[in-house]
Amino acid sequence: MERGNQENGIREEVKTDEPSSLKCTDQTVSKELTRTISSENHINSEDDDALVDENGMKASQERPLEPQTKDSTADNHLETEAPSDGRKEEETVDLPALSSVDSAGAHSLSISEDTTDSIHDDSGEFVVTMLARAKLEEQGMGVKGTSSPLLETGTAVGNPAHQDEDVTTERWRQHRKHVFVLSEAGKPIYSRYGSEEALSSTMGVMMALVSFVQSGDNIIRSVYSDEHTVVFMQRGPLVLVSVSSSRQSEQQLRTELLYVYNQIVSMLTQASIARIFEHKKNYDLRRLLAGSEKILDGLLNLVDSDPSFLLSAVHCLPLASSLRDSLSQILQKAITPNLVFSILIAKNQLLTIVQEKMVIDDARLDPSDLHLLLNLIGASSAFQAGEIWTPICLPNFNPDCYFYAYISYLDPPECTVCLLLLSTDKEAFYAVAECKRKIEEAMQSQNSLTAIAKAQSYSVSQVGVSDLRHFMYKPFDVPDNYRQLTQFTSPEMEAPYCSEEEKMRLLDLYRDMHSRIHSSSRPLKLIYHVAERETLLAWVTSKFELYTCFSPLVTKASAINAITKLLRWIKKEEDRLFIRYPPKYSTTPNPSKSSRGGKGGADHTDSTDNGVLPLL
Amino acid sequence: MIIKYSVVVSPSLKANQRQVTTTMPESTKMKKPDVKIVILGDMNVGKTSLLHRYTERKFKDTISTVGGAFFLKQWGPYNISIWDTAGREQFHGLGSMYCRGAAAVILTYDVTNWQSLAELEDRFLSLTDTASTDCIFAIVGNKADLTDPHAQAATSGGGQADAELGGVQTQPLPACPTPPASPLLNKQVSKEDAMALYGRVLRYKGLEEKTSPPAEKMCFETSAKTGYNVDMLFETLFDMVLPSILKKRREGENSTVDLEESRGSKRTKAGCCA
Repeated sequence: MERGNQENGIREEVKTDEPSSLKCTDQTVSKELTRTISSENHINSEDDDALVDENGMKASQERPLEPQTKDSTADNHLETEAPSDGRKEEETVDLPALSSVDSAGAHSLSISEDTTDSIHDDSGEFVVTMLARAKLEEQGMGVKGTSSPLLETGTAVGNPAHQDEDVTTERWRQHRKHVFVLSEAGKPIYSRYGSEEALSSTMGVMMALVSFVQSGDNIIRSVYSDEHTVVFMQRGPLVLVSVSSSRQSEQQLRTELLYVYNQIVSMLTQASIARIFEHKKNYDLRRLLAGSEKILDGLLNLVDSDPSFLLSAVHCLPLASSLRDSLSQILQKAITPNLVFSILIAKNQLLTIVQEKMVIDDARLDPSDLHLLLNLIGASSAFQAGEIWTPICLPNFNPDCYFYAYISYLDPPECTVCLLLLSTDKEAFYAVAECKRKIEEAMQSQNSLTAIAKAQSYSVSQVGVSDLRHFMYKPFDVPDNYRQLTQFTSPEMEAPYCSEEEKMRLLDLYRDMHSRIHSSSRPLKLIYHVAERETLLAWVTSKFELYTCFSPLVTKASAINAITKLLRWIKKEEDRLFIRYPPKYSTTPNPSKSSRGGKGGADHTDSTDNGVLPLL
Repeated sequence: MIIKYSVVVSPSLKANQRQVTTTMPESTKMKKPDVKIVILGDMNVGKTSLLHRYTERKFKDTISTVGGAFFLKQWGPYNISIWDTAGREQFHGLGSMYCRGAAAVILTYDVTNWQSLAELEDRFLSLTDTASTDCIFAIVGNKADLTDPHAQAATSGGGQADAELGGVQTQPLPACPTPPASPLLNKQVSKEDAMALYGRVLRYKGLEEKTSPPAEKMCFETSAKTGYNVDMLFETLFDMVLPSILKKRREGENSTVDLEESRGSKRTKAGCCA
């Protein structure tokens, strides 16, 4: 456990948190939801720009975060956990148990079935099944007409790669982070490594733990062992479990599980997941997710390697503001009714985003939704010549409805510049594709693609501060401005962080700093951490969150000095590093009209309020 | 509502109609698709690979398609739009949208998987309700290289990329099927099964067997991996949809399209799908 003890030396009032682990707090899940909207908290906090006193460092007093921030996104998720407050039980279980408990599988399954009420006599279940099928068909979602048991096993195959991994081997056990998704009935839905079937008894045990604690009117949140942290999260009918040896905090792991959950919701919507399990508790959700495993795999790899997820912020590609403005204008001009977001992406980073005016009034695009979109694009890039049209739900925007996403690359065959247009109209493909042609033409006439191709991330050497190796800077919204997309900026990782291992090591250090800054029991404002091979400084104010990495020989005074210079540099480069004012457009005076009321053959109208058509 | 109505009435004009009604300033630069072809079938049968083999002349690993992918294929002077759809149940709801106004539907199954043929009837056939009334159907059994020795050699679909390889292998083809490189899998779906399905498709659509293309012509066994029969499949279909292309072009010349006429001019049929 290298965290607590390493920061000898200069420690001022900076407290290390207790021997970490086993210190469970009463903060509910709302905690990391507030994390995703952490900007709120920081805006509310009193201004402490005078943080750096003459001594250099001063840790702020502890200030427990308000558990209930009034935010619509938080509300959405909170309601599912509503009864969960009060005391949380935490159990310490010797972890190897997880792998050796297979024999208990059958038993555990029966437990879980007990807890899920009713449906166990066959006739009842049959009726429910038929109901479910009828309902689903009526909603335009196909349910296979023939008997299911055979099919369910049939559809599950077909994803080789990691799915083939033998789950009894030591190698499997040693993966740094396992993620499992199962249904309340204990049915496996997803495992990051190994096939779900082989893990059904293990997942049964997980469900048994959840149900056992639940039967005492409590909710299991985490299990700690020397090597592993096991985090449980229940969302509606789904249970997500992370088994990690990465030394991340429980909150961070929980945030990651939320990403996994949201990615599943982005494919199916929360409403349809709830509906499916309402009708049939032991439905095999893999039938609907078949083929999407790669998207979840990709997400988990990104979560491990991309700090955007840690910071809940979007990384933009640095671009001269004039170029970014001209791109925005091109997007602004190519519109059609029901178009709500136009997004331009290059090298998996955001170039610009334009939103429909009406949309921005009641909501904004949450960074985590954008992450899910970027992950989807990355995962579907294997076949880049065509124009993709697919339903996608943005869980933080509205977990129950679909948008329809048009995805097309603008620079085949390189396929680095990607256009993403989101519409609320399922039938709008041809209209939206027409927008793409306009955008393509305009970009051609302005030679934008060549300019974009030249854009690249920057080197930390451009800051001109010796000893500074890397940093991540996330500004918070300016309070009196409308809420913008949360962004962060960060240079390329350079020597000595070239190899994958070293990159991961630096990220792990950042994650550690992040978890201590945002510790629910003892949040910190400033950490100066002298590690073996580098020195890190993390600092949160009402205006920004900053993580810096210096060479190990830096002195405290020079680090402070460097940060002053860095902040000055960022201020100077602001227009290039960030999207300052996301532009808007207005498609029609009444955008929700035309997507409603269509009566074509197998179409179905929606029951929603904002014109977003649900697929199911 | 008006939009949808117009689409339903004149299926083959769908794309243009929609653009006229939804986006006022229609760009003249866009290559207008003349006709629409949709590829349907269960997941993992090789829909994307088939199309990829035809358009890119090669076979590579694809990942599960998300939603549907739209391609515009230049075929001589004509623009043919092809929708490659996702086979996953998750995207089932979109199927009828992809099929709207289609002039041809390629129903794809996997010759090594009986269930994939059954799925066509259970799950996908009803999606074609929105297709054009004179829609042409092709039943395609992919992955033939796994079961048929002669499909293992790249014959027709290989194109230039496979020319040398294929040329060598194809010569002894009919006489002596060289021992297959990989052990053959059990073929679960015979061509007769596919042809029987074709008959049921016609019945479902209310089409007369006599006036429709014969089953022998419309059932294919292909291999996206080797290119076997792939070009044949697409070229045959393109040839067959040519009449509707020409008809549409003729109609397109009149700036005002008479919807009634466009429907009336179609081949008369004994019955019509709902």
